[in-house]
Amino acid sequence: MGKNWIKSNTFHHSAFKDIKQLLAAKERKQLAISLCLPTLNEELTIAKEIVILKSELMTRYPLLDEIIVIDSGSTDKTREIARSYHVPVHEANDILPHLEKYKGKGENLWKALYVTRGDIIVYLDADIKNIHHHFAYGLLGPLLLTDHIRFTKAFYDRPISIGKNQWRPTGGGRVTELVTRPLFSMFMPDLTQILQPLSGEYAGYRNVFESIPFQIGYGVETGMLIDIHEKWGLDVMAQVDLDRRVHKNQDTKALGRMAFVIMRTFLNRIAYQERIHIGQELYNKMIQYRLVQSDLQQDIYDLAQAERPPMQEIPEYRQKQSRAKCHYHSS
Amino acid sequence: MEKYLELLPGFVENIRAIREIIISNIVLLGQIPAPTFHEARRAERLVERLSEFPVDECSLDAFGNPVAMIRGQSNTRPPIFLVAHLDTFSEIESDQHYEVTDKTISGIGVSDNSAAVGVLVSLPEIFKRLALQFESDIVLVAPVSSLGRGNLRGIRRLLNNWSGPIRSAVCLETIELGRLNYYSYGMIRSEIECSIVVENHERRRYKPNAILVINEVINAILGLRLPQQPRTQIVIGRISGGFDHGNIAYDATIGFEIRSDSDDMVRSIYADIRDIVDGVNKAFDVEVKLNRISNLNATRLRYNHPLIKCASKILRYLDVAVFSEPSETAVSIFLGRNIPAITLGITHGNNFHQDDAMIEIEPLYKGIAQIPALLMAIDHGICDG
Repeated sequence: MGKNWIKSNTFHHSAFKDIKQLLAAKERKQLAISLCLPTLNEELTIAKEIVILKSELMTRYPLLDEIIVIDSGSTDKTREIARSYHVPVHEANDILPHLEKYKGKGENLWKALYVTRGDIIVYLDADIKNIHHHFAYGLLGPLLLTDHIRFTKAFYDRPISIGKNQWRPTGGGRVTELVTRPLFSMFMPDLTQILQPLSGEYAGYRNVFESIPFQIGYGVETGMLIDIHEKWGLDVMAQVDLDRRVHKNQDTKALGRMAFVIMRTFLNRIAYQERIHIGQELYNKMIQYRLVQSDLQQDIYDLAQAERPPMQEIPEYRQKQSRAKCHYHSS
Repeated sequence: MEKYLELLPGFVENIRAIREIIISNIVLLGQIPAPTFHEARRAERLVERLSEFPVDECSLDAFGNPVAMIRGQSNTRPPIFLVAHLDTFSEIESDQHYEVTDKTISGIGVSDNSAAVGVLVSLPEIFKRLALQFESDIVLVAPVSSLGRGNLRGIRRLLNNWSGPIRSAVCLETIELGRLNYYSYGMIRSEIECSIVVENHERRRYKPNAILVINEVINAILGLRLPQQPRTQIVIGRISGGFDHGNIAYDATIGFEIRSDSDDMVRSIYADIRDIVDGVNKAFDVEVKLNRISNLNATRLRYNHPLIKCASKILRYLDVAVFSEPSETAVSIFLGRNIPAITLGITHGNNFHQDDAMIEIEPLYKGIAQIPALLMAIDHGICDG
């Protein structure tokens, strides 16, 4: 395991608070930057994210060239609220509509590659209660101010909301500590240096994201890390301390289902890499139990996870990209 | 005045166009807790943030008030003050998380006075976008220690140390759009506290009950005769005491306010209440204390002052209903120093001092537009009395 990575490639967002310096680097490198917010029923948080990021990183400092929302079919007012702040809102099913339809965060992230135009793409979860623009510029800092880092990932303290104005300081990242880190320790100890492998905030160059497959659901972060590590190694990655990220608490059973998907993604990846041999097909169904009066009732969740191929393998995407390049060169 | 009024629709639209900056300022500052006497974090952040906007000077004064200045083109004209108090009623000292929708912003303190503070910080950017330059210096102040026991100490200290004349002051309160306050009652706000030391009464057959003692005080206060002229009122607004249903209460407190058009009358009533407290102390052999929390002098800008007329015209042009009520804001401190001053509200809202306080976004645009229009009128001498 490389011992220096965590020292050399771990940053704090405050190192990049000079936004003018980031802007200068962006202009020097002639880059466009897109920010994507994947949503599913985020009416309580989406507006604040859009407002602060648009105000601070578009209106006041043009670090971001676009903010887009990709929605998985919210049944609340998420899309209406987002549109009211004049950002493009796409329904995932409307992008590349001839492809088989899936529903999940990974699907939104993957389809964002098709509709965005940035050379760098920032992905932020849309349920961040304590959103601050350092979430975006912190992730962009290493990408803009170094020449070798191609992918950045957030880590933070994760207080959990346990009621109105009540926070519990620890307890977040349980799936990380109970599932992902043990698996990484067993098979890919290099990746244990990534402190929050499941964080939903990351940024990277388009040519990184378009070259890797995307898991549709919870496994998207795990699959992404493994693939980037496999393809380019750890040195193209960096992690950025964003201080705190306040999010909704999830019950243990929901975390169990999340863990199921992450383990499944992990096992599939290392089997594909021929690091282990699994002598059977993995089941897709997660079975949980709950006590109803005196009976144990079974809940079965079908957690089959589709995977999208690297976006650059999609013909429509290649055409769109080549048209964009032609347009760029002609202008 | 007409030429400034005609600018108002354009102001509203230009302000709407940068609503994200305004909302961000409200949220990013409002989420930092600022109970009275504990505003330091918000004050520092406000200065840091203001310095990122087009102001010429920005710092904390010796008392901790954030003060910024936009230099005017004239070296001789006195400055115009824009004021929004920094502290909030909430005692919560942990960071808050405001919620924003397409129509509202909600969270503790947003309606008193975080939204006005956010607007104050946005004004330099708004002036820039509206291409406004003023002859007078514009001084932006978010005074600390304004509410309750703070007793407007922040703005008092700032003005004590301010050398030179001040042309006018406009105080911003989040709620309610249409508010145009230009007078304050004379006021004393106090608490009466009864506490019973258990050991002193162990041998007494009938132990005194702090709630009943306080009840005697209330009855005596209600027996005071108040004149109709000058208008005078006593409001008993807070009460607390006791431990549980089955035990004699060892402590009880009431909070009250004496208000009058006349400072002398306020002082006279206060003296009467002091006599009542002394009398109850002797009669019940308990410890009853009268503590003064804050006070204001009766001040008033004459109702036909050009500043009031201009502000009214602007609001009416914006199709906003105007109303006036006594103000306990910094306006009374300015008026007490013969500086023309008014308080303006900037939007509508609900659940004023509650955890889920909420303000509406749409009325903000008109609420903010009145500020540059009024400043232009003041700056050009239209509001001079």
